[in-house]
Amino acid sequence: MTGTTPFAFEFAPAIAALPFVSFLIALAFGDRMPKGGALGGILATAGSLLLSLWVFVTVSGGSAYVHDIHTWTILDAGGALGDVNLHFGLLLDPLSAMMLIIVSLIALLVHVFSLGYMNDEGETGLPRYYAGLGLFTFSMLSFVMADNLLQAFMFFELVGLCSFLLIGFWFREDAPPSAAKKAFLVTRFGDYFFLIGVVGIIATFGTSRFAVVGDAAAAAFPVEAAKVLGVTEGTATAVIPGGMDPQLWFTILGLLVLGGVVGKSAQFPLHTWLPDAMEGPTPVSALIHAATMVAAGVYLVARMYGFYLLSPTALGIIALVGGFTALFAATMGVVKKEIKQVLAYSTISQYGYMMLALGAGGYVAATFHLMTHAFFKALLFLGAGSVIIAMHHNENMWDMGGLKEKMPVTYYTFLSGSLALAGIVPFSGFWSKDEVLYEAFVHGLGTAGTQGTLLLVAYAFGLLAVFFTGFYTFRMVFLTFHGEPRSDTAKDPHGVRWNVKGPLAVLGILAAVVGLVNMVPVKKLTGANIDFLHKWLKGPEALKAQTSVAHYTDGDTSLLHEGAHYVAGTLAGGEVGTVLISAAVSLGLALAGAGLAYRLYNVPEPVEHTDKLGAAKDVLYNNYYQDEFQVFLAERVTMPLAKAADTFDQSVIDGAVNGVSSVSLFSGRRVKRVQTGLVTNYALLLTLGFLVLLVAMAATGGWF
Amino acid sequence: MIDGTIEALLAVTLVASFAVLVSPDRYAAKLATALSLLPLAGSLVMWSGFEPAGNALVDGESAIGYMSQVEWFDLGGITLQWFVGVDGVAMPLVVLTTVLTTLALVSAWTPISERQSQFYGLVLFLEASLLGVFTALDFFVWFVFWEAVLVPMYLLIGVWGGPRRKYAAIKMFVYTNVASLVLFIGFVALVFGLGDSVATFGLPEITQALRDGVAPDGLPGVGAESLKLFAFLAMFVGFAVKVPVVPVHTWLPDAHVEAPTPVSVLLAGVLLKMGTYALLRFNFTMLPDIATDLAVPIAVFAVVSVIYGAMLALAQTDLKRIVAYSSVSSMGYVILGLVAYTTIGVSGATFQMISHGLISGLMFMAVGVIYNVTHTRMVSDMSGMADRMPVTVGIFVAGAFGYMGLPLMSGFAAEFFVFVGSFQSTVLPSAPVFTGAAMFGIVIVAGYLLLAMQKTLFGEFRLDTDYEVGRAAFHDVAPLFVLLLLVIALGVFPDLFMEMIETAIEPVASIGGGA
Repeated sequence: MTGTTPFAFEFAPAIAALPFVSFLIALAFGDRMPKGGALGGILATAGSLLLSLWVFVTVSGGSAYVHDIHTWTILDAGGALGDVNLHFGLLLDPLSAMMLIIVSLIALLVHVFSLGYMNDEGETGLPRYYAGLGLFTFSMLSFVMADNLLQAFMFFELVGLCSFLLIGFWFREDAPPSAAKKAFLVTRFGDYFFLIGVVGIIATFGTSRFAVVGDAAAAAFPVEAAKVLGVTEGTATAVIPGGMDPQLWFTILGLLVLGGVVGKSAQFPLHTWLPDAMEGPTPVSALIHAATMVAAGVYLVARMYGFYLLSPTALGIIALVGGFTALFAATMGVVKKEIKQVLAYSTISQYGYMMLALGAGGYVAATFHLMTHAFFKALLFLGAGSVIIAMHHNENMWDMGGLKEKMPVTYYTFLSGSLALAGIVPFSGFWSKDEVLYEAFVHGLGTAGTQGTLLLVAYAFGLLAVFFTGFYTFRMVFLTFHGEPRSDTAKDPHGVRWNVKGPLAVLGILAAVVGLVNMVPVKKLTGANIDFLHKWLKGPEALKAQTSVAHYTDGDTSLLHEGAHYVAGTLAGGEVGTVLISAAVSLGLALAGAGLAYRLYNVPEPVEHTDKLGAAKDVLYNNYYQDEFQVFLAERVTMPLAKAADTFDQSVIDGAVNGVSSVSLFSGRRVKRVQTGLVTNYALLLTLGFLVLLVAMAATGGWF
Repeated sequence: MIDGTIEALLAVTLVASFAVLVSPDRYAAKLATALSLLPLAGSLVMWSGFEPAGNALVDGESAIGYMSQVEWFDLGGITLQWFVGVDGVAMPLVVLTTVLTTLALVSAWTPISERQSQFYGLVLFLEASLLGVFTALDFFVWFVFWEAVLVPMYLLIGVWGGPRRKYAAIKMFVYTNVASLVLFIGFVALVFGLGDSVATFGLPEITQALRDGVAPDGLPGVGAESLKLFAFLAMFVGFAVKVPVVPVHTWLPDAHVEAPTPVSVLLAGVLLKMGTYALLRFNFTMLPDIATDLAVPIAVFAVVSVIYGAMLALAQTDLKRIVAYSSVSSMGYVILGLVAYTTIGVSGATFQMISHGLISGLMFMAVGVIYNVTHTRMVSDMSGMADRMPVTVGIFVAGAFGYMGLPLMSGFAAEFFVFVGSFQSTVLPSAPVFTGAAMFGIVIVAGYLLLAMQKTLFGEFRLDTDYEVGRAAFHDVAPLFVLLLLVIALGVFPDLFMEMIETAIEPVASIGGGA
């Protein structure tokens, strides 16, 4: 980096600090403030958004920023590693700048929406609610800006805490605290592996930095790892335990960190907490459980993509888990009755696509889909929230119907989000999902051996999921908004105000147009250089060899080729033909799914056609009995084991002690007799005796 | 040479104890609390003026702060002496002791209504003894304080405890006293084995002799190596009871369940650290070769303590027993950090002593505040307490997450240091495997604490006892809040202690890691 630090970067810590202040204010004074602390949160997130935009503009101007803010501690690892600097820092580059805008924008909109969803509905405990939102926003933004894996882990856990607190917001009921517990515990299970990964990376490299700028003494672990493997030139410092093959060890480390990713981004098999998390207030679902916190896992893989690209095995597993989750979750979304449940499974499925993209070497595709999904899924959740207000908190779609005429703003924005979700051209989701599938497809075609086959299998999962996505999305739209009202509430829904409609309108427009920033098929077809996102992710010169897309995936010297050994292949018609075929197939499947939903559910009196699936529907409706399996593990395996340990402890171990100590119990009875019962005397004597002893010894010792 | 600082600290505390013992009952609580501010302030002054310069035992005089050394008299060729001082390991524990004592005294205001002057006086006497344990640098002085701790503790549990207080008090007393006997024999045998190489019971002198390779072969018919092994094992067993390490842990839950809240706070918060502190000072500092030879079995005990202790906590139905067993689990991390024998691991273990002292104190106090109003601790007797005691429950939840090792709280820092240190240990074969196994504790701890909270704090309000539930008094909640702030402060700024700890640990443990 040359010259002075751009002004915007000096203010970047405030992006996270502002919501923290609003958290403190809401916590301490919320009950004495109008709107229960909402206004502080709105101002704070608006401030964060403005600063994020400023950072974004500055990054676009070719600047990047890696900066230590607070040294946590410096550990003395000795040996080759020497001092290990653990710190909190900032890494501002295209990826984090983009994510900052997503998080702060949606946080702001959710705060505004909450005025309608929480305040206008007369909820109590609002200071606690807004404090939770503030703490979450602070933690999430700090996670996004983290310049090292340890800091990322810390805030990764803190957003989990906020998720716990907000899912369990209605703590007086039974279901929310239970769902909150499940969410924290399941993600904690993933974080267990993540933490081993963090410890392992620090013990291996002596650092967990993602990138380094202008600090010759510091090192970034993805860069060091590449040097160890000989992918890039240079000598590296790394301690590989037990003389293990570095390639294998890095794969293990990558997979350990992936444990946290799978938990947080609700990937199979740790996805089960997310549908339960819908017990929380709907704005929370939109912010935390759709657009931002769940994205943290995917973001993390992207953040340390330079490390994952060194391990073809880890990439293959990421792609397969992602593709499978995309399909698996989409099938469950098909039969759900409650609008938020459909959206929850859809969220799991969409994050599967992002994982698929990352595993397949589609860095741009993954971040692109992360962005479009954040907007259209937050929109859909807020739209669902609007419907839920209207329906007096009944979430069952079979009690809805015909809401289109009664709530046009909600309907048209929801439709925009649905078209994006289903992947219908030209809405945003089409462009990003298409690019995800395209990347998986071409790398599957071009890469030889198991690796390529794996990608093609993952691609097939993802492709099949497109059909289901189209179907469940429009089943939801038609059941909710079309046909005849199926209940009295649906005939006369509760109105919503500006604070609900405003955020919907903003997101509705974004969901429609934001895909235009990276229209790859159009670029390939016309040759016009309109893949703006791709260009932008090439980023500033200072990070060219560390976190830029050029370093990751572009060209023959990129890690994608040198580290992961991926090769792009084509079908007949070359690149243009392949991109068109891929786009046509996925669009066709999406339309087919939507069309089937139109046939079945866009009727005045729809019936539950999925009932015809019989036993298969039961399996789907019960989520493949995944929850039952996990409950079985907890209640039928772990608890009896704990009880058995307790019995063993009481009878065998303590039994032995008591057996031996029959002598001591006897002497205990003697002690009791010696005691006069006047503890005063006893204690006094003791104290005095001790003092006398001390003084006597001091005197003989020549103290005085 | 007399510095006078530590003597003043001990004397003030003892005099305070005496003054409270003879004071009228109705003033005792406030008087004791006010007087306890003196050692608290004193320890903080010591801490702020302390310049860490190494390990008191390994580096000797140059590394000892506030040192006093006075020879008393000869006893069979060995000179007895008054020898106290602190280094980067002892200093944080001194601060922990004074902070927790003051807070524990405040937490006693509500539950302790009988024989108040005796109660508060004994707590201060306990504090003085604990300060002596952490500052003594001569074995004789140290052992006097070590034993002196037991007396007030026995009485505090046996007189003010719950229904089975006699059983619990005697069990604790006898169990730990037998252990003291074992460690005494082990250590004295070792010193006699060293023969003329050492002139005093001074811990630095003995340490330096052993670490310089002087063979303790002075006992007829006992080889130096077998004496070292015997001494190590005897001391290990003796200290393991105090920690406690599975399987010598069963006195702890009984003692905790019967002890009144403030006593539990000090028992878990400070007394358990006597065991790990002594393990560090004696076993791991004096006999590093044996410690590293026995790394695998000790690491097995550590992992078993973590996992088995956590599983036991999961099975409990009494809130206090849950926290008590979780201490067994948390102290397992300390053992793991010690056995790793890396600077980071042993420093992390020491940091965990401080961190666990604060967090377990917080949890015991929080359970106590709930007990004050509900008169039950059974999980099945209550639900929805958050509805009636929002502030207490809020801090309870925060403390529980601290116990689970939530980042930016001290527990995470401590466990993280232990994990990094043990992961890269070179004296422990398959160190990453042991580390990974012990780390599973962070999942189980989340399991039992979340489950307990869900059942007792959340859901619809219900209480199966005939008490009117009101909000807790300000003085009940204030110590909780102070502890929470300290836990967060140490989580964000671990260097408040970590830097001085590392300075003191590096000379001890630099042989274990880094390859």
